[in-house]
Parts: sequence; C-alpha cells; structure tokens
Amino acid sequence: MTWNPDSDVVEVARGPEPGGLGGAYRVFGETLRGLKTSFMRVVEGTHTVEYPEEKIPVYPRWRGRHKLHKFEDTGLEKCVGCSLCAAACPADCIRVVAAENTDENRVSGGERYAAVYEINMSRCIFCGYCEIACPFDAITMGSDFELADYNRSDLIFTKEMLLAEPMVRTPLRAEGE
Amino acid sequence: MPRPEIDQITFTVDGREVEAPAGTMLADAAKLGDVDIPVFCYEPKLGAPVGACRMCLVEIEGIPKLQTACSTPVRDGMVVDTQNPRVKAAQESVVEFLLLNHPLDCPVCDKGGECPLQDISFGWGRGESRFVEPKRHFQKPVELSPLIAIDRERCILCYRCVRFSQEVSEDYQLVLHERGADTFVGTFDGHPYVAPFSGNIMELCPVGALTSQAYRFRARPWDIEQSGSVCTLCPGQCNVSYTVRDDRVVRVLNRQNDDVDDGWLCDRGRFAYQSTYVDERVQGPMVRENGRLVPSSWDRALSTAVDIIDAADGRVGALAGGGSSNEDGWLLRRLMTEVVGSRDFDSRPAGVLSAGLQAALDAPEAQATVADLEWAHAVLVLDTEPVDDMPVLDLRLRKGVRRNGVRLAVATSRPSALDPNAELSVRFAPGAGEAFVCALDAAVGGVGDVAGLAAAAGADREAVEALGRMLREAGEDVVVVWGERLTHAADPEVGANAARALLKASGRLGLLDGRRGAGLLQVPTGMNARGLRELGVLPNVGPGYSEPAQVGRSSREIAVAAAAGEVRALHLLHVDPVASYPDRALWEAGLAAATGVVAHASFLTEGVLEHADVVFPSEAGAEKEGTVTHPDGRLQRLRPAVGKPEGTLPTWQVLSHLITALGGRATALTSMMITSEIAEAVPFYAGITHDEIGGFGIRWQEREASDAFPAGDSGPFSLVAPVAAASPNGALRLGSFRSVWSSPEVAHAPALKFLAPKQRAELNPDDAADRGIRHGQRVTVTADGTSVSATAHLRTASPRGSVFLETGLGDQSASALQSTEATVPSMVTVESA
Repeated sequence: MTWNPDSDVVEVARGPEPGGLGGAYRVFGETLRGLKTSFMRVVEGTHTVEYPEEKIPVYPRWRGRHKLHKFEDTGLEKCVGCSLCAAACPADCIRVVAAENTDENRVSGGERYAAVYEINMSRCIFCGYCEIACPFDAITMGSDFELADYNRSDLIFTKEMLLAEPMVRTPLRAEGE
Repeated sequence: MPRPEIDQITFTVDGREVEAPAGTMLADAAKLGDVDIPVFCYEPKLGAPVGACRMCLVEIEGIPKLQTACSTPVRDGMVVDTQNPRVKAAQESVVEFLLLNHPLDCPVCDKGGECPLQDISFGWGRGESRFVEPKRHFQKPVELSPLIAIDRERCILCYRCVRFSQEVSEDYQLVLHERGADTFVGTFDGHPYVAPFSGNIMELCPVGALTSQAYRFRARPWDIEQSGSVCTLCPGQCNVSYTVRDDRVVRVLNRQNDDVDDGWLCDRGRFAYQSTYVDERVQGPMVRENGRLVPSSWDRALSTAVDIIDAADGRVGALAGGGSSNEDGWLLRRLMTEVVGSRDFDSRPAGVLSAGLQAALDAPEAQATVADLEWAHAVLVLDTEPVDDMPVLDLRLRKGVRRNGVRLAVATSRPSALDPNAELSVRFAPGAGEAFVCALDAAVGGVGDVAGLAAAAGADREAVEALGRMLREAGEDVVVVWGERLTHAADPEVGANAARALLKASGRLGLLDGRRGAGLLQVPTGMNARGLRELGVLPNVGPGYSEPAQVGRSSREIAVAAAAGEVRALHLLHVDPVASYPDRALWEAGLAAATGVVAHASFLTEGVLEHADVVFPSEAGAEKEGTVTHPDGRLQRLRPAVGKPEGTLPTWQVLSHLITALGGRATALTSMMITSEIAEAVPFYAGITHDEIGGFGIRWQEREASDAFPAGDSGPFSLVAPVAAASPNGALRLGSFRSVWSSPEVAHAPALKFLAPKQRAELNPDDAADRGIRHGQRVTVTADGTSVSATAHLRTASPRGSVFLETGLGDQSASALQSTEATVPSMVTVESA
C-alpha cells in the first residue's frame, strides 16, 4: 500500500479564543497571581541553608552510614559473622567471611567472628534491613550521610572502618527539636 | 533376591486421592500428593525407619492413636489426616520438646539457613517455648575426628549418624552413650571416628550437631552456589555437587543418583577438593631448564612439547591415565595416530587383552549394573577390594546383603573388608588370580581338576568347590564384580587365559545371555578406564573395540622400548607411571632413557618431577569439562564448577594445539565438539549428546545404538594350564594393594593429609612369630637385593605364607619390589629392621 500524506493529517479542535477583556486578564491577571507568591517570599528574606558549612540535624531514626559495635565492658566485637545481614540485604552489598575464634585470637563473644566484613556503600540503598536482621545488635545505621568519594573502590567500607568511631559530621536532632 | 514387583495402590491424604506404590512409607507417599509431613529421623537411605523423633505423627482413620508416618506403610484405601487440630497439637509439642535442650545458637551454627530443624520449627512449631529451666550443657565444639566437629548441645538424638555407622557403612564406631535426656553420640572409647565414609554423617545430620571441620564457618547458604558434576577420583564416579563461593570450591556434597552412588560419598571424594588450592599444585606450564622444572610461558611450553614430539620422529609412546576424560583420551589418540603416526599408546597400567576378549567382557549382554548388586541372588567379589578400588560399591554390597539377603562371596588374596558380610570367603595366593579363575571355572562347571587348579592358585580346594556350588545354586541372578588387575599379568597370555576362564565360568552361570540383573561388573584400576577402552586408547584395539590395522606397544612394552631407546619421547596424560604403575624400576629406566617427556599433571609426583621436560597443568576435578564412562557403561558428564587458574588452558586445548602445531587437522573448538566426534567414531555411542547424557548420565547399553556393539569372542573358550603360585618355602609371597587414601590429592589436601598411608607389611601372626616380629615393629622387606622398610601389621585374617605391601608410596612401594620379567609374583623375605 502506498503512503498517502493526507491520511496522516490530524485536525486539532481548538476552543474559542477569549479575545478582548478575557484575553487581557489572561495575559496580566494570571501572571500577577503567580508572581504574588514570589514577591511575598522576597519580603520574608533568605531561607538558604549554607550546606556544607551549615547542616540540618537529622532525626534519631535517620538511616545513614552503618556502624559496627563492640561490647563496652570486654571490648569484643558484637558481630559473630552469621551473615544474616547479607541475607537480608536487598542490594546485595554486604560481604561476610566468618572465621573461628581461638583462645589466642578472640575477636567476638561466640565461636565465630567476621574475619571480613565489607559494605559496598555505592550499592547500599540504606533500607536498614541489616539492622533489623542482626540478632546481636552489632550493626546499626548511623547519622552520617556524607559518603561521596572520588573512587568507587573507596566506597567499600571494611570492618575496621565500620568499627571505628565515625567522625561526627552530621548533627543529630535533639529530643523534641 | 530379585527385584520385587510393586503394585500401585490408592489412599487418601488430607482429602486428596493419591496413587502410590504399595509398601511405601506414608511420609514418602504423602509427597506424591503434595502433602509435606515433617521428619527428622526418617531417611530412606538408612534402611528401615526407627520412629525415634515422633515428628511425623499423623491421624489414620480407624486407628485411635496418632501414628508415625515414617514407619507406617500405605495400604489401599487408607485415609490419612495431617492437618487436624490433634495432629497440629502433637507436631507443636514435638517441636517444643526437641527444642528443650537445643541451644538455638543459629547465628553461629554452620547449619543455619540449611537446617531442617529451623525449617520445621518455623513451619510446624508454635513459635515460643514454655521451658524456663536450664538447658543441658556439653563442652563444644568437640572434635569427633579431624574431619568432623560434634556439638552435642545441638543434637536432637535422631540416631541418623549412629544408624549410618551401624547399618550402612557398618564400621560400628558411633554409639549412643547414657540413657534418656543424658544420651549423647560418640565413639565407644572416645577415639576419633575415622572411617572411609565418615563424612556422610554430616550430610545426614538434620541439625548442626555434626559439622565439617573443613567447611567450618566458610559460608552461608546464601553466599554459595551448588554446581553438579561427577567425582573423578575413582571408577565409582559418584555424582557430586560442588559448593562454590567466590569461584572456589568450599565443600562437596552428594548428588543422589541411585544408579551410581545411592547418595553416599567417600571421604576422599568429599575432602580431596582441598588439593585444588594448595601451593604444590601445578599452576601453569613448566619447562626443564638446567635440570630443573621452572615455570614458563604457554608459548614456550607448547613449542618445547612440539619440538620433543617432532624430534622423536614418530617414535613416541603415550600413556593415558585413568583420570583422563573421554575427550582428553580421544585427542591423545588422534595426536598419536593421525599426526605422530605411532600406535604405541595405552591406557592400562599393565597387561594386554585382544579386542575380541575385551568386547566379550564388556558386551551389553554380559554387563551388570551397580544397582543389580542390590537385588542379585548372589554376588562374587573377585580379586578386588571395593572399599579401596571403588569405595561406594562397598556400601552397595553391604546394603544388598543386609536388606535384600544377597548371598555374598569374596575371593581375594588379601583379607577383604567385606569378609564379615560374606557367606563365603576364599583366599588365593597373591598374583595367582589366573589360576584361581581357572579353578573357579572348574568348580562351577563341576568338571576338570578342581583340586589341582586350586592348589596351583594356593587356595583351599573345599572352599573353591563350595564357592562353585554356591554360585551355581544361588539362583539365576549372579553378579561377578571382578578387579581389572586379574588381567594385568606381565605375560599377555596369562591375562588372556584369566579373561577366558572368567568368561567360561560366567557362561556356565548364564551371565552372558543378556539377562537383566545378572552379569559381570569390572572394577577398573583407572577412573575412566572403560571410556578410554571404548574409544580405543589401547595399543591393540580401535574405537568401539574394532580390530586396528596395526598393533602397537602396550604400557609395559613402551617402558621396555623406552629403556632400550626404541621409543624416544613419552607423552604422559594425567599419569605418572613411576608412582602408580607396576614395574617401578622399569619405568624409571624408561623415563630416564627417553630424550623427551611431555606430561600433563596436577602435582609434580616423582616421575614427573625427575624426568618430565614439559609439564602442562591438569584441571582439578571441579574445573574439568567433558564426559566419562562408568564401569557399567553409563556416560556421565563433567561440568566445570569453578574457573581454572588465571590464563590456564584446559587439557583438550593443549592437545588440540599440539595436533595443529604438528601439522594435523584441528577439529574441535569446544569440548562438546570432541564429544560429538567421539559419538561418530564409536558405533555404540552414536548420536549421544550432552543433552541426552543430562544430569544423571545414560547407559549406552540402554540406547538403540547399542546394537552396533561388535561381536566379541564367543565360546567355547579353551583354557591353558595356569601358572602355579610359587610355594613360599621359607620366604613369603608378595601381595600388593592400593589403599583408598593413596593418591596425590589425599597427600596434598590439608584436611586429609593425616590419612595419607605409610608403608605397612601385613602378615599372619604365625608367620610373624616364626620371624620374631611383633605388631607395630619396623621391618625390612627384601626381594632380589631391593628392600622396602615398613611397619609390621599383624592380621589374624591374613593368609599364611604371604605378606602384603601398599603401592603408590614412592620408592617404598610394593611396586619397587615387583620384578619386571617374572610371571609369578616376587618372593620376599621379611626381617625386623
């Protein structure tokens, strides 16, 4: 079948042109109505938060960079390397390789400990399932959200990085704030 | 006992009409109707159910009390309810009871994630416990053996492991101590549970009480992938499933195939994967430089190999080890016949059989399957020790005897592990297999000079006659499991006579008539010996047992010719003849005299280390791709589970490369293309594809193409007078055996190292007393001026006048004492060191 250009022309049905007063209102009235909001903000003054010099405090249940914990009394790691966090992780960004505690090298309380514990922050979606899955409260989500880096491989956080007390860069919202 | 006919019956479970074979246990039959009944102690592989855990309680109409589904066979018209409140309450209570003493330390437990107790507690438990008292405590974890850790707190006393030890492997080591709530599993006196099949209890354990020391804390079920393949360490070719984490094998599990392994694995198959990741393994090609093997580039190694083969000018000998796949063997054959122009290649360690005899022994009509061993009227184990040569067969034979009343007879020179199960055990002099088979033939037929032949074999006449009578009268389903070494005699005529005698005796018993359930089953010395034989990787047999135009040298003749300078170069495919073939001295001389030796090896065993000029790395079991043929004719497929070490070529590519570099025609771009080449070349493999082989393999005898099997020699077979065993006359006859633990994989796997055998001389206590030797003492065994030192091991069952030494132990092997030319086995003297 040959193509007939006429068959592809679509007739557009337009409404009536307002014209006259109606047209003038549409040009000026509606525009001014929109600008009213803008002018009202001008008198209020600036509202910009000067990030990164200034930061909005995060809420206590904010889910930022993870932290691994140690027992305060014994100094042993809470993590036993059970890998449940890795199982729960929907982004598959946690890798755990467990090993056995010995009397000479006791790392955690139980029989096993995590010899390798890595979180790939470039994949993490901060859903917090790892925290929920952990049977020993060994991993929690912290408040830090400033994780950008120049190198993808630097975004793989090792156990030592996660255990270390993080630099406090993000203020936590105080009670009732 | 032949296989029983099983009727189908109909019963009702949870309101569904289900058809099931009569006699099936309810727990299994319900599955046919998609009803899941939880079980812990029930495992059909372990035989009769015990009903120990009470998890499977169901209500059966007409029976007032709840019944255990695992031990109640279904009957026609039975009405079963697994869902009503009474059953539910029972299930919840049982779970609660089982968890009373269970520590619930799932996060640290290795079973976590693949634990039936977790699954059943989740699916059938009430979710909370009312138990507030302290749980029982044990020291944990304890080493049950260097391979297995036991955590007694987690044990729910299902008896599975104890039943395995008592009723399946019959090593009688595991027992339950104490009574009631104090019961715990262990060996009687607390010694380590070391047995050839001990690893199976870890797979049987439904909780984390028995865990693998090697796999301990290595991975979680969600960290790993399972990859099915076939174990390539022995002719048993058990189906395995490799557990892979981060492209490394971390565990081996069975992959139940009732026609091959019945769902069991030996410890060698289970732990030898570790040898893949040791530093001693050959990681890349090596070339000899200034007398030492040094790592080299692939280009250099390949060109050196090409130069060696080229320079030999057609005078090349090749050996294919039993571990070679069909594809590797086929390319080696093509390399030799098409490119090098030499017929000097062999896949047997010793001995020669004509194509006709070989075909008669391997004919589909004469072939028994592994499953036949379970249901035969009688089984004769002839000149082989299953637990060493093909371990998984040992369990099958025990199963047949224990559960189906198979009458077992054992005829070997060394006392066998199966003797306690055998109705009849006959001993003959080491190396007198030929004479014994002739005597057996006479006894079965009731004709000829049984007394004379039995005397020649060094066997007891009455025992041989009793054996003949037993086989004749047991019934029509008789299976003879015979060891390939019966035909390994130095003189080919002796081996051929043994084969003819075996065929003649089998003919008398009606084993060659194609009756299903009766026949011969060979236990070869190499893993894929049958496949290599059928491809014609033999000096005197072509593909599919055809008669070749030209006959070459056999293994032993290659060694002699190499020592004499007639064969210049040697190509060793996955084999080190110095370490593993008989005639150690001869092979040392042959390899030393050869101008060039090309080897494919995983480990630098002594012969390779000293003599190879080029070494190509062999793939480990989990890296291999190709097909292998089981001794009963089942083609099975090897699938690579993990990648090869960086930059390594598979063996078939190395061989392909050599073929093209030497001017041959390359035909294979993939391993699968070689398989189809094989399918074209071997008439009775015609049309076989990887798809058809599938996950569980296919026996070529069951395919239409098996009609193309060539007619082998047919009777009547005439026998010649066998070589008589020498009388000890003050000295001792030397017998040899190869332990299941004697292999480079065992020696290099960290977990198995402790099992690597040390030389021991097995003696009868009376013979020892005559020489003033005590058990455990160091002795020297001497023959013709060569000696081997060993530890004396006195066995009452050991026959008088013989001493048994292990092979495969380097220069301390029995093979160091076996003389090259003698037709009768060597006589040795044993004295305290």
